Amino acid sequence: MSDLPPAESQTQSITGPQVGVDEWVMRAGGRRQYAPGWRGDVQRRTDKVGWWPRLALAGIAGALVPFVLGNQFQLQVGINALLLALLAVGLNIAVGWAGLLDLGYIAFYGFGAYGFALLSSDQLSTAGVHLPAILSLPIVMVAAAILGLLVGLPSRRLLGDYLAIVTLFFGEAFVEFTNNVAPSKLGGPNGIFALDPIHSFGVQILSNKGYFYLLLVLLVLTIAVLHLLDTSRTGRAWRAVREDPLAATLMTIPVNRVKLMAFSFGAVVAALAGAVFAAQQASVFPTDFDTPFLILIYAALILGGAGSMAGAVLGGLVVGVTLDGFLRSSTEAGYIFYGLILLTLLVKMRPWRKLALVLGSTVVLGFALHAIVKAISPSAVAGGPQSSGWIASALHSWVIVPQNPTTAGNIGFVVLICLLIALVQIHGRWRTIVLVPTLYLAACVWEGRLVAEPSITRQILLGAILIVMMNARPQGLLGSRRVEVV
Amino acid sequence: MKGRLLLTATALTALIAAGCGSSSSSSSKSASAGTSAAAGGSSSKCNAAVGFEGPITGQVAMLGAEQLHFAQLAVSMDNTANKTNITLVQGDTQLMPAQATTVTQQFISNSKMVAVVGPAGSQEVEAVGPLFGRAGMPFITGSATAAALTTGKNPTFFRVVSKDSVQGPQDAHYIVNTLHPKSLLLVDDQEAYSTGLVSAMTPVFKAAGINVDHESVSQKITDFSSLISKVTPQTSVVVLPWQVAANAQQLGRNLAEQHKKAVIFGTDGLFSPGTFTINGSYVSSFGPDITSIPADKAIADAAKAKFGSYGTFGPPVYAATHVIDQAIASVCKSGQTPSRSNVLAAIKATNEPTSILGQPIKFDSHGDLVNGKFFLFKINAKGQYKQIPSA
Amino acid sequence: MHFFVQELVNGITTGSLYALLALGYSMVYGILKLLNFAHGDLYMIGAFMGYFVIQWFGGAMALTIPVPLLLLFMFVIAGGLTGVLGVAIERFAYRPLRDAPRIAPLITALGVSFFLENAVLLLFGSQTRVYNTPDFISFSTGIHIGVLQIDIVRIMVIGLSVILMIGLRLLVSRTRLGKQMRAVAADREAAEMLGINVDYTIAATFFIGSVLAGVSGVMAGLVFNQVYNLIGFVAGLKAFTAAVVGGIGSIAGAMLGGLLIGIAESMITGYISSTLTNLIVFGILIVMMVLRPQGLLGRAPLQKV
Repeated sequence: MSDLPPAESQTQSITGPQVGVDEWVMRAGGRRQYAPGWRGDVQRRTDKVGWWPRLALAGIAGALVPFVLGNQFQLQVGINALLLALLAVGLNIAVGWAGLLDLGYIAFYGFGAYGFALLSSDQLSTAGVHLPAILSLPIVMVAAAILGLLVGLPSRRLLGDYLAIVTLFFGEAFVEFTNNVAPSKLGGPNGIFALDPIHSFGVQILSNKGYFYLLLVLLVLTIAVLHLLDTSRTGRAWRAVREDPLAATLMTIPVNRVKLMAFSFGAVVAALAGAVFAAQQASVFPTDFDTPFLILIYAALILGGAGSMAGAVLGGLVVGVTLDGFLRSSTEAGYIFYGLILLTLLVKMRPWRKLALVLGSTVVLGFALHAIVKAISPSAVAGGPQSSGWIASALHSWVIVPQNPTTAGNIGFVVLICLLIALVQIHGRWRTIVLVPTLYLAACVWEGRLVAEPSITRQILLGAILIVMMNARPQGLLGSRRVEVV
Repeated sequence: MKGRLLLTATALTALIAAGCGSSSSSSSKSASAGTSAAAGGSSSKCNAAVGFEGPITGQVAMLGAEQLHFAQLAVSMDNTANKTNITLVQGDTQLMPAQATTVTQQFISNSKMVAVVGPAGSQEVEAVGPLFGRAGMPFITGSATAAALTTGKNPTFFRVVSKDSVQGPQDAHYIVNTLHPKSLLLVDDQEAYSTGLVSAMTPVFKAAGINVDHESVSQKITDFSSLISKVTPQTSVVVLPWQVAANAQQLGRNLAEQHKKAVIFGTDGLFSPGTFTINGSYVSSFGPDITSIPADKAIADAAKAKFGSYGTFGPPVYAATHVIDQAIASVCKSGQTPSRSNVLAAIKATNEPTSILGQPIKFDSHGDLVNGKFFLFKINAKGQYKQIPSA
Repeated sequence: MHFFVQELVNGITTGSLYALLALGYSMVYGILKLLNFAHGDLYMIGAFMGYFVIQWFGGAMALTIPVPLLLLFMFVIAGGLTGVLGVAIERFAYRPLRDAPRIAPLITALGVSFFLENAVLLLFGSQTRVYNTPDFISFSTGIHIGVLQIDIVRIMVIGLSVILMIGLRLLVSRTRLGKQMRAVAADREAAEMLGINVDYTIAATFFIGSVLAGVSGVMAGLVFNQVYNLIGFVAGLKAFTAAVVGGIGSIAGAMLGGLLIGIAESMITGYISSTLTNLIVFGILIVMMVLRPQGLLGRAPLQKV
């Protein structure tokens, strides 16, 4: 355990390693200590608030969001983000609590969607099956629970990554199945469409706003139920199994049954999300349940912090809103791009003097280079920044963008990546010096090349954000570091 | 650790808040953020935004990128010709209906947007058709050909290519009557486009008493040798209603590698003179080779210069974008400001005597092309496409 | 009988490519317990590099140098570049996470994979690049007995894979570096205490694994001809499967797993139906994993008490 980084909020009384005392255990008190000053006061106050007022507050805050978000697109982004949050919360049961790497999770989502679709369309018989949601949702969820048990069965024998691969097969098999088997019922690649909306007792949900509120209510309810579960015997059993299955067995915890339950509960949450997704889209297709979306769910959970439900929700919201809300338009992608760079510098660069120096030199370097290049060859700066809005006008005589920036932009992109890797290798003064041209080149490449291809840039940024975030905070935004039994 | 976390969280919240604020206050600004085409006449006031939906990234990026390039080309050429100021906003769907739904909501919420080119896949049209219908937004696809789309349920939907139920039987009859196979291999690629054509063709083959071996391979597969090993000496035709021409080229190579004599018959997805060049193959397409039409020379040259080689998916999207551009221009000419309803009316009234696709463009009441024709080509030893005169 | 042999050869070709890729997976996993999802993307970049080498020397139709020399250049340049890239990725993305929870590097690996796939899309465009191998290595070379038709390229791929696998096996079992690798894989902290340069050993493992990925990318380009930015995803998934089925961390297991999957795919396509190939293969694999949880040649993990 000697390679653990020192906890920052170490208390004064602990002076150093002591013989016979595990460092991690010894520092446990220190980690629980409140921060000094007002932040500690705030923490102490918030800790006294129970879990349900906090959840209710968060729910009310969420309910106010549609009053701020005006248009259908923003509501759609909200729906996507809530779906992702719900899915992340469900995935957290198996991955975060029970420590089972379930790569077939997406299949439960698809199963819920297809289950709802079959029960709410003309697909199964000529007259069609049109159950109200009050019946179809429970049917789908119970079926998913049973399916979860079946898929979880191999977990009795499989450990770690071997379980991951078997569940991955299951996920892939689901897509293959819906694509190729019984096309007259499941629709093949054409999917199932013209589904009923969610309806019961004569009320039906048609608008995006309605689905936003439905998802919000479901998310809050799910969190409440799962919180009760988490603090019950079952929850403690899950964590015991995650930390050490052998020790858990010795303490008479029925390890296999506990694992199966984790799969099953996760499956139910995913199926619920899938059913709402199907109803909102009014159609289902195999491609929506393929691996790329599974990766997003995992990214949301791990980014937020596996093991923490608040983290899962936060991760889902952050990933959903970033990906669909910001990165789809190049103006807002620009805010994210420049914002993240500044944020990284702000967090990583100390003292402030150095930061000011670096930013100042970058600005000066840009104006100087621009003037020099313009004097030599005016066409080399003729392109101008390709983004729009105030950023573009601010950067107009700063960045160098040639007339036809594609090739130059590509070369710049490769050089930029090389510089970034070099930055990791070098230290001290040299790092500060190399940082200046790197920042400037990043801005040039963004304005010259990346803005022109917003769709591809969106994917590149997603990858970059995942790498940087995981490196900055491996345990996720709200996750806590814990001892891993290796 | 806690302090840094707090800082990060605060900054993140601020960032999100800033983004939300800006996106709600400036949806018009984000509209112009897309690839803005060069404005034609600075004095003109004909401003409008047109959306583009297609798989710009993901498994079939080659399809979507080509479509995007031709849409950009059409907008910039038409802007110059009509003195309009139309901007094209791109939305990536990765051929996934869920993403198409989000992009569609983004476009509908953009008040400046009057029409959309795309989406590319039939399953995407199924998912987003009702949304566009409710918003009264016209959308024209260059590649979604499922017959079920134009049964009247999508009032704002148009397409510049004929549907499966026209192309499938026509191709199948040609195969039966001209190639006279005893047995044939029919392979779909597990996409809506392909399975639609297969189900339109199969009855014709069955009726002619031909022995049909139906297989299906995913678009992600790049080796067909084990499939080709199943081709018997009696199988003289391999029918490939595929979207990815490079896959068919590889299948052709696998045939040659195993010295099989069967001939490939492909549908419009394989029409790709730079990529699919198997000697003796047949390809049916919704238009003649645009490089062979003198009137299209300017477009073909511009496309070649800007994007290099291209296949079958670009020209129809050019035609679709052109229809929208002309509709917007006509609205402006009549003194109105372009809106969804008047552009929709103008698109419905479209009557182009000729087009980049070598045939007139006129829509029926459900948005289908009136009298859509298909052209048949045979590939020679040099990889050139030679048009077969229609019987 | 010929049909069987034909399908067997088809299966072994794809299988040996899966195996070669699985080796890299397995090596990295063995030493870091990390599922390196970016491995398939190095294979893709290797395939691209091979294509650019062909273009550099005049293109498939008009080569300016003899074919064996061209192949040598392709393998060396593609392998070298992916090797360096692999080391850079390890340094930049994975090393800071060596002591993080197991799942963090997994997500980082997915991030690297996203980044590489789309950076290639940005730089090289979306159109499929084609090797056009038959233009410089004729189909008439190879084995031709009646119905049985085996192309020389396939023979070469199988041969080269076998040579590389044997070489790797010798490297791990006989050399000093191999000994260090095994030590680090067994217990990193203990190895460090014994004076083994852990950083260097891990970097070397990444280099070798990535070179294998690049080389198999070139071979895939020669056999399958097509190169575009997502070929690595499917191949990577297959290789991951092969590595796990064979017993992850075991070199012989990775080879066996790769060949097994390749042959199973080919036989199911040949004798049953291509429509259900993937579904049946997945079914077989699930049953196999449940019956033998540690993989075919893997050892049951020791439980630490």
